[in-house]
Amino acid sequence: MKKISISLYAAITVALLSWGFYQAIYVAPADDRLGGQGELYRIIFYHVPSAMVAFLFFAISLAGSIGYLSFRHRRNAWAQISDAWALAGAEVGVVFCTVVLITGPIWGRRAWGIWWTWDARLTTTLVLWLIYVSYLLLRRFAAGPQVQTLAAVLGIFGALDVPIVYMSNRWWRMQHPAPVFGGDADSGFKDPRMLHAFGWNILAWLAWGLLILLVRYYVERRSQKLAAQEMQDALNA
Amino acid sequence: MRNLAVALLFALPAALFGWACSLIVFAPPEPPFDWMSQMSVADHDALVAFIDHQYTIAAYAITWAIQLGYLAWLGLRWQAQKRAAGSTASPCRSLPSTNA
Repeated sequence: MKKISISLYAAITVALLSWGFYQAIYVAPADDRLGGQGELYRIIFYHVPSAMVAFLFFAISLAGSIGYLSFRHRRNAWAQISDAWALAGAEVGVVFCTVVLITGPIWGRRAWGIWWTWDARLTTTLVLWLIYVSYLLLRRFAAGPQVQTLAAVLGIFGALDVPIVYMSNRWWRMQHPAPVFGGDADSGFKDPRMLHAFGWNILAWLAWGLLILLVRYYVERRSQKLAAQEMQDALNA
Repeated sequence: MRNLAVALLFALPAALFGWACSLIVFAPPEPPFDWMSQMSVADHDALVAFIDHQYTIAAYAITWAIQLGYLAWLGLRWQAQKRAAGSTASPCRSLPSTNA
C-alpha cells in the first residue's frame, strides 16, 4: 500500500512537472510590452518556485533544529527524528538554492549584460547558500557527540537569513527586479496566463521538492538506525 | 554491470549540463549597437528572441541537471545503505533511548 501511494505521488509529480513545463513554454505569452523581457522572462517559472521551495525547506530545517535542541536530553528518539528533518531540509534546500543561484545569473547575463552584481538580493542569497553549505560540511566532516548540537545551532542562525533574503529587494531597491507579489505597480504578471503558468510551476516544484525531501529523510533515518545498530553490536561484542 | 548502471544514472544530468553550457557558449552574438544599419527590425527581434530562447532552455536544462544529479546521488546512497543493512546479521532495531 505504501509503495503504491509513493508511486502514485511520484506519477502525479511527473505529470505536474510536465504540465508546468508546457504552461511555461507554450501557453504563457512572451513579455512583449515596451521594454519587456520577451522570451527571457520564462526563466522566472523555474527560478522563483525554486526559491520558494528552498525557503520552505530551510524553515523545515529550522523546525528540525529547534526540535533537536528541545528533545536531545529528554526524548532521544524524537531528537533523532528532528535531526533527520533538519538535515534533509537543509540539504534539499541547498539543492534548490543552487538552482536559484545558477538560473538567476543566466537571466542576468541577458537582461543586464552581466553574470553577477553585488545587489542586496543576490548577496544575501549567496550568504544563505554559504551558511547551509557550511552546515552540510559540518555534518559531513566533523566528528564527535556535539556535531548534531553544533549543526542545529548553525541551522537556526542560517534560517535567520531567510527573512533578510525575502525582504532584501523591498528594503534596498537595487538591481534585482521587484517582487512578483507585493511589489510596485510595474512588477508582477500582466497576463493571467502568465500567472496560471507560475501557479502550476509552484505546485509542480513543491511536489517534486517534497518527494526528494521524503527520500532524503528516509535515507537519513536508515543511516541513523544503522549507526545505532552498529553501536549496539559493538557494545554486545 | 553495476558500474554501467551508475554511469547511466549520472549520464543524463551530465549530458543536460553539457547541453546547457553549449547553448550558452554557442549562442549567436548579440546584435551590434548600430544594428539598424545592418538588419531589419524583424530580423533583429527574431535574433533576440532566439538568443533569449537559448538562455531560457539552458536555465531549464541546468535546473534538471542539478535535480536529477542529486536524485542519482540519493539513489546511490539508498542502494549502499540497503547493502549495508543486508550484510549485518541482525535486523535493524529502533534507536537506543537515553531517557531516564
